[in-house]
Amino acid sequence: MPDLRIDHLTKTYGDLKALDDVSFTVRGGELFGFVGSNGAGKTTTMRIILGVLRADSGSVTWNDAPLDLEARRRIGYMPEERGLYPRMKVGEQLVYLARLHGLSAADAAHAMEHWTEVLGVAERRDTEVEKLSLGNQQRVQLASALVHGPEVLVLDEPFSGLDPVAVEVMSGVLREQAARGVPVIFSSHQLELVERLCDRVGIVRAGRMVAQGTIDELRATERPVWEIAGSLRVGWADAVAGSVTEVTPGVWRVEAADADAAHTALASAVQAGTVTSFAPVRPSLTELFQGVVSEEVAA
Amino acid sequence: MNTVWLIARREFRVRTLSKASLISSGIMIAIIVIGSLIAKPFLAGDDEPGVVQVDTATAGELVPYLDAAAEAQDAPYVFEEVEAPAEPAIAEDTVGLVVGPADAPTLYLDGGDETLTGVVQAATQQFALTATVEDLGGDPGKVATALAGAVASVEMLGDDAGEFDSGAFFAGFAVIFILFFVLIQSSSVIMMGVVEEKSSRVVEILLATVRPATLLGGKVLGVGLYALVQAAAMVVPAVFATWYLGLLEQFEIPLGPLLSNLAVWFVLGFAIFTVFFGGLAALVSRQEDIGAVSTPMMLLMMVPLYLSIYLVPNNPDGAATAVLTQVPFFAPFMVPMRAAFGTIAGWEIALAIGICLATIPLLTWIAGRVYAGAVLNTGGRMKFRDALARG
Repeated sequence: MPDLRIDHLTKTYGDLKALDDVSFTVRGGELFGFVGSNGAGKTTTMRIILGVLRADSGSVTWNDAPLDLEARRRIGYMPEERGLYPRMKVGEQLVYLARLHGLSAADAAHAMEHWTEVLGVAERRDTEVEKLSLGNQQRVQLASALVHGPEVLVLDEPFSGLDPVAVEVMSGVLREQAARGVPVIFSSHQLELVERLCDRVGIVRAGRMVAQGTIDELRATERPVWEIAGSLRVGWADAVAGSVTEVTPGVWRVEAADADAAHTALASAVQAGTVTSFAPVRPSLTELFQGVVSEEVAA
Repeated sequence: MNTVWLIARREFRVRTLSKASLISSGIMIAIIVIGSLIAKPFLAGDDEPGVVQVDTATAGELVPYLDAAAEAQDAPYVFEEVEAPAEPAIAEDTVGLVVGPADAPTLYLDGGDETLTGVVQAATQQFALTATVEDLGGDPGKVATALAGAVASVEMLGDDAGEFDSGAFFAGFAVIFILFFVLIQSSSVIMMGVVEEKSSRVVEILLATVRPATLLGGKVLGVGLYALVQAAAMVVPAVFATWYLGLLEQFEIPLGPLLSNLAVWFVLGFAIFTVFFGGLAALVSRQEDIGAVSTPMMLLMMVPLYLSIYLVPNNPDGAATAVLTQVPFFAPFMVPMRAAFGTIAGWEIALAIGICLATIPLLTWIAGRVYAGAVLNTGGRMKFRDALARG
């Protein structure tokens, strides 16, 4: 499989340790969400993957081979700070970038036409980039990452500044690319979107990868929590083993070691009144992320 | 190589086809061409031979001598026979009137005309001489031949032997000034291009697929071709103007060596200055900060320019002149200037070219390293040494 493997990357800027032993793998056909606070090391990691920055140590391999310049030309890259020639026309610019990646003139023109069509900027081909709205510039930026038919996609904050329609277009394109077998890695602060879109997620904090896995894996907690809602007699929880807390009036969270313990708690609740819902609590990515960030603050 | 060419082609197209460039080149060409068309009548206004009227009474005897004298003095006059009016007057469209006996005519002029006076004087003397020789029974033809053969030769002695040669100065100055202009212009274009890519952050996308050296190399090549077109847009009309105005004949400038000098030192100077400054430009991130790099650049070009203009005419064989000729940043200005004065030995030119060729890889290496080290650095100005270390 054409996996993108990031191994033990370390990068220091003066006294600041920007990356500290970061490792993860993005498998072919997988959408990998990269989240973390500002300055956590996402952009640095992506720049190192692209060879725009050099790591102090560690390696990036693709298809089990080091990612050299020739292989990097197969990557589609969308940098965090958007980069296009402001006074070059959209079409010319995309053709130029495609050709720099090794496409023939005819293929480049064809790809430019295809992607401007798909991303809804076909009418803007003869417009200079600086004259486009920010959203359209963003679409052109994505087109520039896709125009050479990349075999790896590395996108830094592709969704920032997009309207909901454009977010759907972008999501669709990323899914299609993953379906083609391309490893896709993107960073975002829109956690619901990451949760909805990604097969796997990595959370970085202060240069370290603190959690990674599928959304389900990340959500799995050591001590499962269940939520019981209903109109129950006050003090019903006293009889239940384990900790029960009323999070909002009429809603309780029960920490139970296993499913049996949870059922015991439910049985107590049913005897104490009317239960309207009973379900395991799975933290959202936002909650997971906030957990990580609060640890950061505490640390 | 293909990539370098792609980058160069983009640079060339963007620069050449930019409105500003087209307009400024157009204005430049128009000024030179139209200027020379307008200047022509003033500079060479006497091309139309002046008409001099000669009274019928004198004409038969004097006109052959007048024609001969005018030709000998390279003065284009046409002598026209007329019935002189009783009251002498200069007719319209004529420049003078000759009346009276052939051995002592009177020349009427409307304002001073020393050339015509000289011509009439010579013709009169020749007429008198011929008449006298014939009176004495001699052969005027033999006398003329003897006179023509009696020529004193002149040789200069002492320090003032090489008098200030304004033609050579003009030629040398023209070459190094065009060089200076083109080099400073293309260095600025490259610097602005580097900073534009930096400030628009497009450089990050580019560097994900091309090496820094390739990007800088393509840029230099593209802007070089652009500068060549620009230089041609100046040199071609300028050569046309000098030819059209007949300035070439006045100064007797060897145009071939001059242009080949320009070509050689354009290439070398370009490689020395623009690559170096392209690399340095990566140290700054915004167009506003470009002065931090362009000021030293101006100095590094203006000092050699002024020294060449000052040293070469005043002290062509001095030690400073000889030494600076061999210093890479000075050579592109010193050598063409000295060559125009003809005060440089072949081996000196060869050595200067050799030293420049040897320096170029070193400068390119430094520039490439600084560029690679600094081009992704955003924010403030980066220190030269840090960039060199990081590259």
